[in-house]
Amino acid sequence: MRNRILVAAIGLAAIIGVTTVSASAFDDAQYPDFKGQWRRISPPGQPAFDPNKPRGWGQEAPLTEEYKKVFEDNLRDLAAGGEGLWPGYSCRPPGMPPMMTAYEPVEIVILPKVTFIMIDHIHDAHRRIHTDGRDWPKEIEPAYAGYSIGKWVDDNGDGKFDALEIETRHIKGRRAYDATGLPLHADNKTVVKERIYLDKADRNILRNEVTVIDNALTRPWTVMKSYSRAPEQYPFWREYLCSENNNHIAIGKESYFLSADGYLMPAKKGQTPPDLRHFEPQR
Amino acid sequence: MVSRRTAALIALAATLCMMLGLASAAHAFDEAKYPDLSGQWRRIGPDRWDGASNRDAPLTPEYRAIYEKTRKTEAGNMIADPMLTCQSPGMPRIMQAYQPMEIIVTPDTTHILIEHIHDSRRIHTDGRPWPGEVDPSFRGLSIGQWQDTDGDGRFDTLVAETRHFQGPRYFDGSGLPLHEDNKTVVRERISLDKSNPDILIDEITVTDSALTRPWTVTKSYRRDRTPVLVHRESVCADNTAHVAIGDEMYVVGPDGNLTPTRPGQPPPDLRYFPR
Repeated sequence: MRNRILVAAIGLAAIIGVTTVSASAFDDAQYPDFKGQWRRISPPGQPAFDPNKPRGWGQEAPLTEEYKKVFEDNLRDLAAGGEGLWPGYSCRPPGMPPMMTAYEPVEIVILPKVTFIMIDHIHDAHRRIHTDGRDWPKEIEPAYAGYSIGKWVDDNGDGKFDALEIETRHIKGRRAYDATGLPLHADNKTVVKERIYLDKADRNILRNEVTVIDNALTRPWTVMKSYSRAPEQYPFWREYLCSENNNHIAIGKESYFLSADGYLMPAKKGQTPPDLRHFEPQR
Repeated sequence: MVSRRTAALIALAATLCMMLGLASAAHAFDEAKYPDLSGQWRRIGPDRWDGASNRDAPLTPEYRAIYEKTRKTEAGNMIADPMLTCQSPGMPRIMQAYQPMEIIVTPDTTHILIEHIHDSRRIHTDGRPWPGEVDPSFRGLSIGQWQDTDGDGRFDTLVAETRHFQGPRYFDGSGLPLHEDNKTVVRERISLDKSNPDILIDEITVTDSALTRPWTVTKSYRRDRTPVLVHRESVCADNTAHVAIGDEMYVVGPDGNLTPTRPGQPPPDLRYFPR
């Protein structure tokens, strides 16, 4: 009799122990291992939005006729020394979706109600992907990173999450897909959908299937972005401060250049100097 | 009545359950071990490093002279504050928390997120050693460790050291300078106030060649638990009208034209524009 009570007590204690441990712990075993530093996989040189195709017209972006012209005008401006449509020259962040090109490495921090995607490029962005089941708020101030709501999915029914599905809206402009100035619509009504998961064959490769819905496109445009996990035990996170040593100077609607010796200079042939009407005449 | 065999099976099953529970706990991040640092933390006090006037800042005579020559506004803030042209405040000035701070604790890193210019930090708690060569930065490289100072089995203090800086950096908006050699070392002890868990304390000790001795100040932040539905993004380039050309700071006025920031300021030299 005593032995039976003892056995039952041991059993009850074990059950209580398991429950107590689980209640205070965040069980990250439920989630895929997104830890570490992720670096983009793309050909050498300036990355394109679709890493699998050449830059510029080679991207075969399904632009409307109107926005093909916008792109052409942008290319002409770039050729003349202008900035085109890429916001990075004036230290504005690329925003969504181009920030997922990962111009600098990415860190993903998974918490129960939010997943952070951190990228230090121009702006030390920390995207929040809300996974708490919230609805879209009624009023949202647009942001370059947009506002993201996501959910974890278990594709293969093994009780563990495999992929993070995200929708991002309320994105601020101006934005271009990459530094060639491939344009998104000026109305900033872009919707970006993503599906982020580990490659089944190589758990050190992260895939991001990015679909862009935008009024500058004739149809949704899907590209696959890939990132490799840094092999170093202690990866280094570089600080990318755009304003440091940025030689582009914006004055009103004009963009000038700062010379190596610290003087203002034209960025385009024939560019007029800034209006100095507010300065006292110099002798 | 339960047979001995059945009872033994129950005990075995319970033991297995416990082992599985412990195994999953080994993967689990036990946030109960760490202090609750959730919410938004806002600085208590003015934008002055010592929380008052900096009058007793232990500057060397050379750097006191530099400080006293700094051009300032009527409110005592430096006119040519590099933050105005979107330069990072760097450490230790980041801990002035010009915007609310959010702290995310994970086993390997404590992230301090501040939506300001470029103020977010990582404090690595993964046991890494100091690397031989480090790309210097305004925020520096921070390595720390969690401590259980009262022996109750829970961490209560994050001790961090930050090195490998670039500059120029200042302690605060008054222009209190750090040395141009950028050999600053910043040591911090971050913990919740024992008498009020909604106050965060950061005891910061700065060792710098502009100082005659290590200087310790205690900064406090108040927790705001109000849930934030939409976190505001702050992009400095959108919010500043200041332009630095050479050693001079100008402002782009509402009419889109360059304006001086002080009486008698010369305009930029336009030598590279055709006459």
